[in-house]
Amino acid sequence: MIASGSEFEPVFIFVVIGLLVAIGMLTVSAVLGPRKTTAVKQMPYESGMDPIGDARNRFDVRYYLVAIVFLLFDVELLYLYPWAVSHWSASTATATIDSDDSAATTSAAEPAFPPPGIPPTLRKVVLFDVLVFIAVLAAAFAYAWRKGVFEWR
Amino acid sequence: MLTFLGLTALLIKIGLVVGISQGAVAYLIYVERKIAAYAQDRIGPNRCGREFGVPLGLIQPLADGAKMILKEDVIPKYVHKPTFILAPMIAIVTATIGFAVVPFGPVGAGAPRLGADWPVQFQIAPGVDIGIVYILAIGSLAVYAVVLAGWSSNNKYSFLGGLRSSAQLISYEIPMGLSILGIVLLAKSLDLNTIIEWQDRHGWGIFWQPVGFLIFLVSAFAETNRLPFDLPESEQELVGGFHTEYSAMKFGMFFLGEYLHVITVSFLTVILFFGGWDLPFVLSADQTSWISAIFKVIVMMSKVSLMIVFIMWIRWTLPRFRYDTLMNLAWKSLLPLGLLNLTITAVAAQMILGG
Repeated sequence: MIASGSEFEPVFIFVVIGLLVAIGMLTVSAVLGPRKTTAVKQMPYESGMDPIGDARNRFDVRYYLVAIVFLLFDVELLYLYPWAVSHWSASTATATIDSDDSAATTSAAEPAFPPPGIPPTLRKVVLFDVLVFIAVLAAAFAYAWRKGVFEWR
Repeated sequence: MLTFLGLTALLIKIGLVVGISQGAVAYLIYVERKIAAYAQDRIGPNRCGREFGVPLGLIQPLADGAKMILKEDVIPKYVHKPTFILAPMIAIVTATIGFAVVPFGPVGAGAPRLGADWPVQFQIAPGVDIGIVYILAIGSLAVYAVVLAGWSSNNKYSFLGGLRSSAQLISYEIPMGLSILGIVLLAKSLDLNTIIEWQDRHGWGIFWQPVGFLIFLVSAFAETNRLPFDLPESEQELVGGFHTEYSAMKFGMFFLGEYLHVITVSFLTVILFFGGWDLPFVLSADQTSWISAIFKVIVMMSKVSLMIVFIMWIRWTLPRFRYDTLMNLAWKSLLPLGLLNLTITAVAAQMILGG
């Protein structure tokens, strides 16, 4: 079955209702709560002292490094998910984990486009490719480790 | 397009999910206070409602909720107002809409029927077949709530808490994603219901992916900001962390969001590693009667409740991590372990199944 996008309609409706619930909570709280502002209440909280300087200061560069390494691995995950789904989902009567998969048998009857999953003959090659992909990323990971990205003091 | 009948059913389902989850959160806070009390040899809340003959302080959550709404909603002068108001909304919306793809009972072919051809799906969006990716994506959006709250508050505690928290959340997202990949590879699907049905036929995920389960569990604790990973709001160092400046219902929304997150993560753990509604030898995907459906929902909810109690129990068992050990655990232990687990799973599946 090729997705038409209409299966996401309930999700969008749910998002709208979630937003309405959130706005409702804020409104009820704003309407029912008291509102007495004093100068001290308006100050940033700093354990009772008058605040010193601005809070939006310079901060440690390591947070940026972690964010960059995060991007590397997040993109890796994005590539691995489609592979994980499709690796065994092609139909072979004997070799798949469960041969009674209904989706696989129907797709064998009528050729779907794109064909579901990786053809059984290519599985070893694809697995090797994925392992190479993981190895390259592991090398990048080792480099970041050597460079001290993950050292926190 | 949705028909009128479909829309009505959908709105009923959404109403049920939102209502039950908010009510459950209120009582989870009560349960957590009771567990905390017993863990520390106290009694916990037991007075509230005694005048009306309600035992055990059972209307304490209602009183807490009323207090949240009736308190003054302070918006300090130096905050960036739009993001300050937006942050708690993001927190609660992202925590709520994660439930859209969670199956609460049998879905798809195994769903019970009203009349001849009207299957009742125990899921808000039964057609979505990328449930795991959706939940991970929504979980990533939750980082924005923390970052925006920390930055907009213009408070040093909030700022530090927000920084720490965002680094923690994005760090643990990677081991979490990696740990799920093993089970996705075996079950061949990102659809949560298909994964449950696969476990129904082949045994629970925890037996196939014990290492993946451990990585997932640790990351789940970190993603929900629960002890031992509650550094974003470590009260001894950072007062309240990113929600220091928040009061009244805005604070309550962060609180609600956190507990909703705990429920979502418990559902995910049960669905991915404990078979969802599956009970070996008793319940299977072939049963489509209403009685079996109700039993499946009960089994599912019992497992989720046990998982939530487990999360609360851990809180009183382990002390908080130090920040460097926290980051070391994510990057130097869980990430290599996750990659290794995935590689071994893929190679072992290839060698055993061939092809």
